[in-house]
Amino acid sequence: MKNNVTTFSWMGALAMMVIVFASTGCSKSFLDRDPYIGSSAGNFYQSAEDAEAATVACYAPLQVEISDGAHFRWYFGDIVSDDTDKGGSGDTDEPDMLEFESFIGDPSSGIVLGEWKTAYKGITYCNIALENIPGIEMDEFQKLAYLGEAQFLRAYWYFNLVTTFGGVPLVTKTLAPSEYAQPRATADEVWAQIVADLEEAAANLPEKSAYGTSQTGRATRGAANALLAKAHLYQGNWADCRTRCEEVVESGEYFLDPNYGNIFTDAGENGPGSIWEIQYANNSGGNWGAQFWSEGTYTNVFQRARGTFSGYGFNLPTQDFVDEFEVWEEQIGPDLIQKVDPRLSYSVYQLGDNASDWGEITEDATGMPNPYYARKYFNPAAELAPFGDPNPNGGSNDRVIRLADVLLMHAEACQQLGDEATAIASLNLVRTRAAVPLIQEGSVSGQSLLNAIWHERRVELGLEGHRFFDLVRQGRAEDILEGFVPGKSELFPIPTAEITLSNGQLTQNPGYE
Amino acid sequence: MIRQLSWLASLILLFGAGSGVWAQTISVGGAVVDGDLPLPGVSVTVKGSYAGTSTDLDGKFALTVESGATLVFSYIGYLRQELTVANTVSDLKVVLKPDVAGLEEAIVIGYGNQQRSKISGAVTTVDIKEATSIPVLRTEQALQGRAAGVQVTQNSGQPGSTQTIRIRGLGSINNSDPLFIVDGIPSGGIDYLNPSDIESISILKDAASTAIYGARGANGVVLITTKKGSRNSKATLTYDSYVGMQEPWKYMALLNAEQYGVLMNESRAAAGLSALPGLTDPTSLGEGTNWQDAMFERAPMANHSVLYTNGTETSSIAMGASHFSQDGIIGGDKGRFERTTFRVNSEQQAGDRFRVGQNVTFTHIKRNALAENNEFSTPVLRALNIDPVTAVTRNDGTYAYTDYIDSDIVNPINQIEQTFDNWTTNRFVGNVFGEMDLLPNLKFRSSVNVDLALGSQKIFFPAYDLALYPGDPNRPATEFREVNSLIRAENKWSTWQWENTLTYTKEFKNEDKLQLIAGYSALESMSTSITASRDSLASNDPYYAFLSNSLNVEPQIPRASDGISETAWVGQFVRATYDLGNEWSLMGTLRYDGSSRFGLNNRFGLFPSFSAAWNLTERPWFAEKEWIDFAKVRGSWGRNGNAEIGDYAYNPIIVNGLNYTLGSEQNQTIGSGPVAIANPDLKWETGEQINLGLDADFLDGRWNVIFDVYEKNTIDMLAYVPNPGTAGLEPGPSNVASARNRGAELAVGYQGGEGDFTYNLNGNISMYRNEVTDLGAPVDSLNQPIFTGNVFGSGDFVAITDIGLPIASFYGFETAGIFQTDAEAAASAQSNAVAGDVIFVDQNEDGVINNEDKVVIGNPHPDFTYGFTAGATWKNFDFNLFLQGSYGNDVYMGMFRYDLNTTNLPVSALGRWTGEGTSNDIPRVTHADLNQNNRVSDRFIEDGSYLRIKSLMVGYTLPSEVLDRAGISKFRIYASANNLFTFTNYSGLDPEIGTRGTLEIGIDRGFYPSPRIYNVGINVTF
Repeated sequence: MKNNVTTFSWMGALAMMVIVFASTGCSKSFLDRDPYIGSSAGNFYQSAEDAEAATVACYAPLQVEISDGAHFRWYFGDIVSDDTDKGGSGDTDEPDMLEFESFIGDPSSGIVLGEWKTAYKGITYCNIALENIPGIEMDEFQKLAYLGEAQFLRAYWYFNLVTTFGGVPLVTKTLAPSEYAQPRATADEVWAQIVADLEEAAANLPEKSAYGTSQTGRATRGAANALLAKAHLYQGNWADCRTRCEEVVESGEYFLDPNYGNIFTDAGENGPGSIWEIQYANNSGGNWGAQFWSEGTYTNVFQRARGTFSGYGFNLPTQDFVDEFEVWEEQIGPDLIQKVDPRLSYSVYQLGDNASDWGEITEDATGMPNPYYARKYFNPAAELAPFGDPNPNGGSNDRVIRLADVLLMHAEACQQLGDEATAIASLNLVRTRAAVPLIQEGSVSGQSLLNAIWHERRVELGLEGHRFFDLVRQGRAEDILEGFVPGKSELFPIPTAEITLSNGQLTQNPGYE
Repeated sequence: MIRQLSWLASLILLFGAGSGVWAQTISVGGAVVDGDLPLPGVSVTVKGSYAGTSTDLDGKFALTVESGATLVFSYIGYLRQELTVANTVSDLKVVLKPDVAGLEEAIVIGYGNQQRSKISGAVTTVDIKEATSIPVLRTEQALQGRAAGVQVTQNSGQPGSTQTIRIRGLGSINNSDPLFIVDGIPSGGIDYLNPSDIESISILKDAASTAIYGARGANGVVLITTKKGSRNSKATLTYDSYVGMQEPWKYMALLNAEQYGVLMNESRAAAGLSALPGLTDPTSLGEGTNWQDAMFERAPMANHSVLYTNGTETSSIAMGASHFSQDGIIGGDKGRFERTTFRVNSEQQAGDRFRVGQNVTFTHIKRNALAENNEFSTPVLRALNIDPVTAVTRNDGTYAYTDYIDSDIVNPINQIEQTFDNWTTNRFVGNVFGEMDLLPNLKFRSSVNVDLALGSQKIFFPAYDLALYPGDPNRPATEFREVNSLIRAENKWSTWQWENTLTYTKEFKNEDKLQLIAGYSALESMSTSITASRDSLASNDPYYAFLSNSLNVEPQIPRASDGISETAWVGQFVRATYDLGNEWSLMGTLRYDGSSRFGLNNRFGLFPSFSAAWNLTERPWFAEKEWIDFAKVRGSWGRNGNAEIGDYAYNPIIVNGLNYTLGSEQNQTIGSGPVAIANPDLKWETGEQINLGLDADFLDGRWNVIFDVYEKNTIDMLAYVPNPGTAGLEPGPSNVASARNRGAELAVGYQGGEGDFTYNLNGNISMYRNEVTDLGAPVDSLNQPIFTGNVFGSGDFVAITDIGLPIASFYGFETAGIFQTDAEAAASAQSNAVAGDVIFVDQNEDGVINNEDKVVIGNPHPDFTYGFTAGATWKNFDFNLFLQGSYGNDVYMGMFRYDLNTTNLPVSALGRWTGEGTSNDIPRVTHADLNQNNRVSDRFIEDGSYLRIKSLMVGYTLPSEVLDRAGISKFRIYASANNLFTFTNYSGLDPEIGTRGTLEIGIDRGFYPSPRIYNVGINVTF
C-alpha cells in the first residue's frame, strides 16, 4: 500500500511537470497576435489598388479643418483682411481669431498649430505615396498619374505653409525619429520645391476631361498649371505665370459659367469654371471629435447666420467690402437707373434678404445685430445633412481655384509685363460674365489698370480666402489694414509647440518672439 | 523559468519520499461543540494523511486512525484545535472556542487562503453579509466606504451605470482600474453578478499581495468569492426580496421665468441689443417652467433572489436565481435596467483524493439608457440650461421648442421621449476544476474558465418635428429630424483560461510551517463586433425598427463595419510562505508574465515581491499586557504591472479609413496609410510599492485596529511624447512617464453588548497624495503637460496633468474680484474689461492676461475619504447605519453653457454686478463678453466635500417559536433608506462626480444624480 502511494505520487508529479513544460514551450507563438483589421506595412504597397488607396490617403487631410484649432483658409485670408469681421456669438467665440484679426495673434494658438500639423500630415502621406508607388508593378501611365496627384497635393500643402508662415522645414521623404527636428528652409527654397513638384505634375496628370465623372475632385493637369501660375504670381515671375495661365485657358477644358450665381450652389459644384475643389459630402454622419474620419465641412455651419439659421455666424462682410462693389448709372429708356455689381448680391446677404429656403434675414431671426452675412457658403436648409450631427457635415465644396482666378492672374501678369491690351482682354472676360460694364482698351493703363485688376480680384473672388494674401504679396497690406505691423504681420507665427519640439532647430518669425 | 520548476520538483520528490510509520489502528468518535451547542460541518482531518471527515448535523464524528495520530478540528469562526489520540475512544468531546477577533479567519488571497493573524500584506475584507443586507444594486456599491484605501465613486446615477474603483490612489494616467477576479476567473466587469450571491470580497492593496497577478495587478486586485454550499449541511432555501421607490433628492436652484427675463434683457442691453420679443415684460412671466420637476420622476425598483444550498458528506451544491429591475428617476423606463441571473456552484468528492467542481453562471441584462455625462446632448444638461419661459408642452399637447436658445439646448422631455437606446447582454461564466491530492501535503489543481458575453445594441432615431406648422421658420434645426435611422450592433466577448497550480504544505515539528504554490496559467480573449446602420425606415414606430425595413436603397457611404481584437496571456508563478512558529510569517512571490500586448522586444516581464509579518503578541512586553490580545507589524515590497495598454499598440498598421469624397455622386473612396508611429519596445507599466502596517486587537477582541502607510511608484507609464509636426503621423505610446502615490489608511472597529443588546461600530479613513513625477520628454524643457477635460461652457480645457501636480488637477485663471469702475478696468492688464467684469490675476505681471497666467486652481482628489458603520441588535430587532463621505475634493462646474449666451443660470446669478459696489464676485451679465468673464477660472471650482447617510436600516426577525410552526428557520422583515441625506455645500445636483476616462475627474457636465431610495424587504430561510 505504501509503495503504491509513493509510486503514484511520483508518477503524478512527473506527469504534471511534463504537462507544464510542454505548455511552456508553445507560449512564444501563442503570444504572437497580428491585428485583423488593416494590414502591416510589409504587406502593403504591392498592387495597383494599393497605389490608388495610398493616393487617396493624400487627399484625406484636405478635409481636416478644425483639429488642434480651426484653421480654415478663410480665417487667414478673409477675417484677417478688411473683407470680413470674425463674427460668432461674441468675443469669447474663437478668441484667438480676435487676436489675429488685430495682428496681436499668439504663437501658442491652436489655429496656427492646426494649420501647421495638418499640412505636414498631408505632406507625409504624399511622401509615403511618392516613395512606395514607384516600386509597384502596374500600368505606367496610371502610375505617373498617381505620382502626379501626390506631387500636386504636396505642392498645395507647401503653398499654404509658405504663404502663411514663410520658410518652413522642407520634408520630401519619410523621416526617421532622429530626423524629426528639422530647420526651416528659406521661402525661396520652398517655392522652388513647389515649382518643381508642379512642373512634373503638370506634365504627367491627365486633363479634366480625361477623368470620368466618378473621379471628379482628383488633381488634373489644369489644376497643376493653375496652382503653378499662382506660385509664379506670388514670386513675381510674371512671364512664367502668364505662360501657365495661357496653358490653362487654351486647354479648352474650362469655361466661365455664364451665371455667376450658379458657382456657389450645390448644382454648380465642380462646374465648368471649376479647376480644383476640395470635395465634401454631407452624408457621412459627421464627427465632431475625429474630423479625419468624416467627409463633411464645418465651413457651412460656421458661416451661416445664428439663431434660426442654425449657424455660428462667422466671416461677416464689412461695409468696406460691400462698398467695393461698383455702382454705376445706366440709361434704360428715359430713366437713369442705379445699378450695382450683381456679384454683390451673390456674395453678401443683407438684412431683409431672403436666405434661400431659410426665410428672411432679420435681427430677430439671427439674434445678432450684424447687417451682412457671407453668402457663398450659406447653404440652404434643404442641403443640411439627412442624418447625424449636421454641424460637422456640410456638403459645400471648397472652391480652391477657378477659371476667373486664372484669368485675373493672367491679366495681372500681362500688365506687369507691359502687355496691357491682353490684360484688359482677360479682365473683360471676367467682367462680361459678371454683367458689369467693360473696360475700354486704352482707357486705363499703368497703376490704374493694376488697381482695376486688383479691384476685380476683390469682388470676383471675395470671401474665398484670397484677400489677405493678395494684399501682402501686392505690398498694400500696411496701407489698407489697420494695425498691420510691417516686417511682422505679413506672416503668421510658427506654433510655439513646434518650436519647443524642434529642440531649437526652428526659429520664430520676427515680431512674435 | 525551467530552473524554478526543477528546483520545485526536487523539493517535492524529497519530501514525497517521506511517508507514514507502520502502527496500529484505533477508532475515534465523539462530538464537537461550542459550549452546549453542537457544531455540524466541522472539518476533522488527520494530520499527515488523506483521512478526514466532517461532523454531522449533531456535531458527531467517527474515524479510524493510527494510534498516535493528531486530529485537527477546524471550523469557520472558531479557533483551530489539535488533539493527539493514542487509544480508541468513542465519546471524545471537543470544545471549540469562538474566534472573536477573527484571527483564524481564512482570508482569501490570490490562489489560496491565509489566516488573518498571519497575513503580511495589506488585504482588506469587506463583510459582505452586512454590506448586502442593505440592498445594493451593484457589487461595487458594497465596497464604497467600507474598505480603507478603496475609493468608489459613481459615474452616474443612471441604473446600470458603472462605478469607478480606485485602490490607493491613481496608479496610472492611462488605466487605473483594478483587476477583478471572481472565483478565480478574471472578469472584465462584475455587473453580471447578483450581489446577494457574494460570500466575501477581499481587496489586495499592496504589491506583495497582488504580485502573484503579475502584469495585471498594479492597480490592486478585488477577489470575489461567491456563496457555495458546504459539506454535511442541511438543505436550506433562502429567499431575499425587496421593493423600493426612488426619488431625486435635490433640485438645483435656478432662475425662474421672471428672473430669467430680467437678466436676459440686462445682458442684451449691455451689448446694445434690444430685449427679445416675449421677454419685454418680465413681471408677466411669473414662475415659468420648472424643467427639473418635469424631468425627474419617482421610479420603482425590485429585487428577488433565491438561493438553495445543500451538502452531503461527499459533495455540496449551491444554486441561485435572481431578478432585479430598476427604472430611472429620469425617463422612467427609458433608463431601465433589468438583470436576471442563474447559477449553480457545486463540488464533489470523487474517491479519496480527487475532487471536482463546477461553477456556472448565466446572466441576462437588458438596459435602456439615456445620454449622460457630456455637455451637449444629455437631458440633465438641457433641463438645467433651457430657459424657464418655454413651457414643456403647448396647449395642444405637442412639445414646445425654445425661442431663446439655439444649438444644443433642446426640449429635454421631448428628447427623452425620442430616445430608444437598448442594450441586451447575455453572459455565461463557467468554470470546471479538478483537485487531486498527489500526496497528503501535495495538491494539484487544474481549472478551465470560460467567459462568454453576447451584447446586442439597438439605437433608433425616430423622425420628429416640433414645428408649430409646416414651414415654421422659427423652429430650430436641432428640434427636428427629417429622416429616421437605426444603428444595430452585435458584440461578442469571449475569454478562456486554463490554470494549473501545485500546492505543497509542510508542517515541521517545531511548529514552523511552509507552503509552496507553483502555477501556470494561459488566457486568451477575443472581442468581435458588427455594426450596421440604415435610414429612412418605413415606419416611425420603434416596434418596427429593423434594418430590413429601410426604404433607402441608394448605395451611399459604407454603412456596415466590423471590429475584432484579441489578446493572449501566459503566466508562471511561484509563491512560498513560511511561518516561524507563531511569531514570524514570511512570504515571497515571483511571477513571470507574457502578453501579446507587449512589443516583440519586451514580451515577458518578471514581478517579484516579499513581505514579512511579526506577531508581537508572544513578545514579553505584549504578552503581559492583558488588554492587548493581538498585535502584529508587517511590511512588504513588491513589483507588478499594468497592462491595459490596448491590444495592438506596438504594431504598425496600415488602416483603410483615410477616405476622401470623389465623383459627381460624392462617394466615399477608401484611402489607406499608417496613422501612428509604431513602438516595438512597448511594455507594461510597472508599479512598485512599499507598505508598512500594524494590526492590533484589544480588550478581548472588542477593539480592533488596522493601520497602513504606503508609497506606490509607477514607472514606465505610457504617455504620448509629442512629435514635431514634421513627423506627420501621430506618435505611438511609449513607456516614459511616472507617477507616485503616498498614503495612509486606518480602520478601527469596536464590538460590544450586554445581554440582549449587541452592537458594533466600524470606521475607516484613508488618504492619498498623488503626483506625476515624469512625463518622459528627453529633455526637461520639452515636457508637455497633458490637457484634458474640454468644457464647452468655458471654451477651454480645465484639467492638466503635469510633473509635480496630482493627476488631472484643475487649471485655469485665478480671479481677484470685480472691477467696480471703468477707470479701474482701464488701468488693468485686461484690455477689454469694463466695470462689472472679472479681475483675473496677472501671475507673471507682464501686463497681459493669457495662457501663461493660468495656475492650478483646484484638486479633484479628496484630502481624505471615510466611512462609518454602526450596527446593533436588540432581541429580535436589528439596526444599521452607514455613513460615507469625502473631504477636500474639488468639483468643476461645467454644466452651464455660457458660450450660448441665453441659457438659464443658477440663482446665484441674481447677485451679479449692476453698479459700483453691488458685487465683488459675480460679474455683470452681458451678451458681449469681451473680457471672457466665463473662461476657465476658480469661479467655477466648488468644494465637493460631502457626508452622506448612505443607508439606514431597521429590521425585525420573527421569533423562532412562531417560525418553527411554519417550518421556516428565519424570517426577517426590514425597511431601509439609501442616500437618505447628503450634507454638502456643493450647489450642483450631486457632489459625487465620478470620472470620464482616467484624466477627467470631478467635472460636472450635468451629472445624473443618484436617487434616494426607500426600500422594504424580507429575508426568509427555509
